[in-house]
Amino acid sequence: MHDLYSFFTGPFAWLTFIVFIGGSVWRFSSLWQLAQKKDGHVFEYMDTKFALRSIAHWLVPFGSRSMKLNPAMTVVTFLFHICLFITPIFVFGHVILWKENFNISWFTLPNAVADVMTFIVIASCIFFLWRRITLPEVKYLTTPSDFVILFIVAAPFITGFWVYHQFAGSAFMTIIHIISGEVMLMAIPFTKLFHMFLFPFTRGYIGSEFGGVRMAKDW
Amino acid sequence: MKRFINNVVAAFVVAIIGVSLAVISYGTINAKECFDINKESVESNTNTRAFVCFEHDAHNEKASIESCDRCHHVYNEKGVLVDGESSEDQSCAECHAGGASTKSGDSKVLDIDLAAKYHKLCRDCHLTEKKGPVACVECHKK
Repeated sequence: MHDLYSFFTGPFAWLTFIVFIGGSVWRFSSLWQLAQKKDGHVFEYMDTKFALRSIAHWLVPFGSRSMKLNPAMTVVTFLFHICLFITPIFVFGHVILWKENFNISWFTLPNAVADVMTFIVIASCIFFLWRRITLPEVKYLTTPSDFVILFIVAAPFITGFWVYHQFAGSAFMTIIHIISGEVMLMAIPFTKLFHMFLFPFTRGYIGSEFGGVRMAKDW
Repeated sequence: MKRFINNVVAAFVVAIIGVSLAVISYGTINAKECFDINKESVESNTNTRAFVCFEHDAHNEKASIESCDRCHHVYNEKGVLVDGESSEDQSCAECHAGGASTKSGDSKVLDIDLAAKYHKLCRDCHLTEKKGPVACVECHKK
């Protein structure tokens, strides 16, 4: 227990940060080079105004036609993404660790709020899983890696919920919780999870092409 | 008849006294001597975890800690540990948490500051000794 704790909060945590940041920089630069080599027009047509206009529409709930056509997905996905980011950053149990290790701290969520938000993330993942299995148009696009990614994202929240509520074996589950968070961070640069950094560029380009070339809305 | 009633009353009184003594002694034996960490403000805070009862004497007996300065340490102005000096007559917050604990001020800031210090004091030693709780839930039991 002590050796596992020391390893996964020590050397392995630093490895996680290096892989996450280093991997993200590498992914950005390799995509940039690939775009220059194969899709030179991306740089030509990129337009700040059309890009921002498109991003803004897609960041607002029900701001696009697609979102209006799939209201359930829209509500779930917005709640999911908000809770996914806010909960781990502002839950007290994490802020105290920032205070201990880096002597910085900030606003923390009331326990009940963090608890509900964690539950929203888990429930959303179940919704996404159901969607991938049952809806034909989603099933068609689904590969095995999509299920793995879904599991990677859900795991820190399931284990966090487990530990907070002190279900059986919660001390050891803390170690699993730490590892699951580290796995998620390390997976970001190398999987579809990279859309957290890439979305302004993909959305921005589609917006630029629709706005500047096709003279049409892309939302 | 009168004697019988007297006997019943006497037995009843003895029984009550006996049960009370048993309850009191059981309570005394099992009473935990908690050293609380600013308990009031922590309990009124909805963000924190369950209160930790630190059983000072039981802990030190179990961990065979003889010298107070193992936890009640003293650092000089240069931040160097002073060997052989201990600080059990002071509150932690006199040095930590900006040394402002005695003033009633922003208690939440002080709480997180102090909680961080307590966590490090306990956990760092437990990790070094490879004994004792390290995960949150091992101390903060509901």
